[in-house]
Amino acid sequence: MYRGLNITQLRDKIDNEGISPEEIFESTNKLAHQLQDEYNSFVTIIDKFKMKTTNKTLLSGICYGLKDNISTSNILTTSSSNILKDYIPVYDATVYKKLKNAGAVLVGKTVLDELAMGGTGTTAHTGIVRNPWDKNRMIGGSSAGSASAVALGIVPFAIGSDTGDSIRKPASFGGVVGFKPTYGRISRYGLFAFASSLDHIGTLTRNVHDAAAVVDIIKGLDPNDMTTLKDDNKNYVSSLENDIKGKKLFYIKEICDKKLYQDSNDEVMLKILDEFHKMLDKLRNQGFIIEEVSIDKQLLEALYPTYMSISCAEATSNNANLTGIQFGPRNDGSSYQEIMMKDRTLGFSELIKRRFILGSFILQKENQEKLFLNACRIRRLIVDKINELFKDYDGMILPASGSIAPKFDDSSEKLSEKYLILENHLVIGNFGGFPSITLPFTMIENMPVGINLTGRVKEDDLVLNMANYIEKVTGLSDIYSKVGDSNEV
Amino acid sequence: MIEKEKLRKYAKLLMFDMKEEEYETLQEEFNIILKQMDLIAKIPNIEKVKPMTFPFINEDAKLREDIVGDYLTTGEVLANTKQQVDDQVKIPKVVE
Repeated sequence: MYRGLNITQLRDKIDNEGISPEEIFESTNKLAHQLQDEYNSFVTIIDKFKMKTTNKTLLSGICYGLKDNISTSNILTTSSSNILKDYIPVYDATVYKKLKNAGAVLVGKTVLDELAMGGTGTTAHTGIVRNPWDKNRMIGGSSAGSASAVALGIVPFAIGSDTGDSIRKPASFGGVVGFKPTYGRISRYGLFAFASSLDHIGTLTRNVHDAAAVVDIIKGLDPNDMTTLKDDNKNYVSSLENDIKGKKLFYIKEICDKKLYQDSNDEVMLKILDEFHKMLDKLRNQGFIIEEVSIDKQLLEALYPTYMSISCAEATSNNANLTGIQFGPRNDGSSYQEIMMKDRTLGFSELIKRRFILGSFILQKENQEKLFLNACRIRRLIVDKINELFKDYDGMILPASGSIAPKFDDSSEKLSEKYLILENHLVIGNFGGFPSITLPFTMIENMPVGINLTGRVKEDDLVLNMANYIEKVTGLSDIYSKVGDSNEV
Repeated sequence: MIEKEKLRKYAKLLMFDMKEEEYETLQEEFNIILKQMDLIAKIPNIEKVKPMTFPFINEDAKLREDIVGDYLTTGEVLANTKQQVDDQVKIPKVVE
C-alpha cells in the first residue's frame, strides 16, 4: 500500500492523512518478507516496530534499510560473511544512532558482498541478490541489498557504504540514486572497515531530494571518528533549487569518446555513450556549460590496479581481527593457532582470501616500494589532476557504467583492456574523497542506466543541487520495479 | 609469474588455507595485477611523487582531551566469545 512512496509522500501520509508509522512499518515488513525469497535484499528483517518519538524530524516514522556491515546493538550484524554469521554487536554505529534519534524506523539489515569486497552482489553468505528489473541479472555491489530494497520500492531509503563504487554502481544497475558525500562528512564509527582511507558511508534513495534529506540528518563531526569533518551547518534540502545556470562540468574524452570504441560490437555500450551525449546536450539547454577534457590515458588505466593495491593492502590489515576467538564461530583446536586457522579457512570465501593474499604480498617489505607506495603515488597524481580541473569546473559528469546490469552468467571483463577505464573510473571519488552521486538517466533494454556527477571536496550541497536539476531533465525520479505487485503492468 | 608455493606461504601467514584450484585462480589474478603495476612503475618520475594515504588533510582533526569517554563493560566485551573463564576469553593452553 505504501510501496514506492518517497520520503515526502510518506511524510504527507503520516502528517496529513493520519496514517500511523506503525501501520506503514507493518505493511513494509510484509512486503519485505514477500519479496525476500526471490530477491534476497535482507540478511535480517526486523519484525517488531520500534521508533523513538522524542524528536520530530523529516525522517520520523520513515522506514529504511541499513547495510549489514554497520554495527547495530543487539541486532545481528554479519557483514554477509560466515566469519561473523552469529555476531551481535554491543554498540551502535553513529549513523544508526543518528537515524534512531531522528525517529527513522529500521526495517532490515541489507545483504552485501562479503565484507563489502566485490561488486556483484553474489558473494554474501546468505546467497545472491537479484536485480529487481530482471531477476536473471545482478544488482551489483557491494551495497546490493540496500540498492535492491530501494529499487523494489520496499523502503524509500537505505544506507550503504562505498570504497570503490559500492553505492554508485549498484545505483546505476538498480535505477536508484546513490550518493557518497565528501570523505568525513558522515562518521564511519561502527562501519566495519574495509579500506579506511577509501571507505565512505552514503545513501540509496529514489530521488535526489531524499538523498539530501537523509544526509542532512546523518552528517556531522563525531568524536569517535577523527576523520569526520566539522559540520558545514548547511541544509542540503534547502540548496536543491539554487540556480545552476553557468555551472561548468567536464567529461573525460578517454572515457566518453565513441571513436575509441569503434571496433567494438558491444551495442549496449555504444547506445549508453550515445544517450550520454544526448543527455549532455539537454543539460546544456538547461544552462549547464559542459566541455570535454583530456586526461593522460596511462593515468586512467592505472585506476584499477591502484585501487586493488591500496584497498587490498588496507583490507588485509583491517580484517586481521577476524579470528573467531573474540567473536564469530569458533571451531575446536588444540592451540589458538589451530582454532584461528580453522575459523579463517572456513569463515572466509575464496574471493576474500585472494584479496587478503594480494594485500599481504603488496605490503611485504620487498614489494612495498613498487606495489603499495607506487599505487599511493598514482593516487596523488590522479587526485591532483582532478583538483586542477576543479579550479575551472564545478563538477565532472560521466556515465556510471558502460553496461546495463550484467547477467549472472556473464564473465567478468573488468580487467580487460576495453573496460579498464569505463568500468572503474568511479574510484576517483574515493581516491580524492569527492562527493559523488549516480542517478538514473536512461533505460536500455528495459534496464536502467546511471549517470554520475562528482564535485569538489566539501561541496556536497552543490553536487546535490546540480544533480537535482539533472534529475528534472532525465524525468526518471522515483522509479522502481513493481515486480510482485498484484497490479503489476 | 609468482610461484604457487609463495602464495601458500602468504596464506599460512594470514592463517587460512585454500583449495588447490583457488591457488590457480589467484596465480592468474596476480599475473594480471603485477603486469598492470609494472606499467605504473614506468610512469616518468613516479618515484618523485609523495605517496597519498588519505584523500585530503582534515583541518578539523585534532586529538581529543585525555578524559574517559564511553567504554564497553567486561560483560559486553565477552558477549560474543564462545568460552570464558574469570572474566577472560578462554583459549587452549599456550604453555605446556
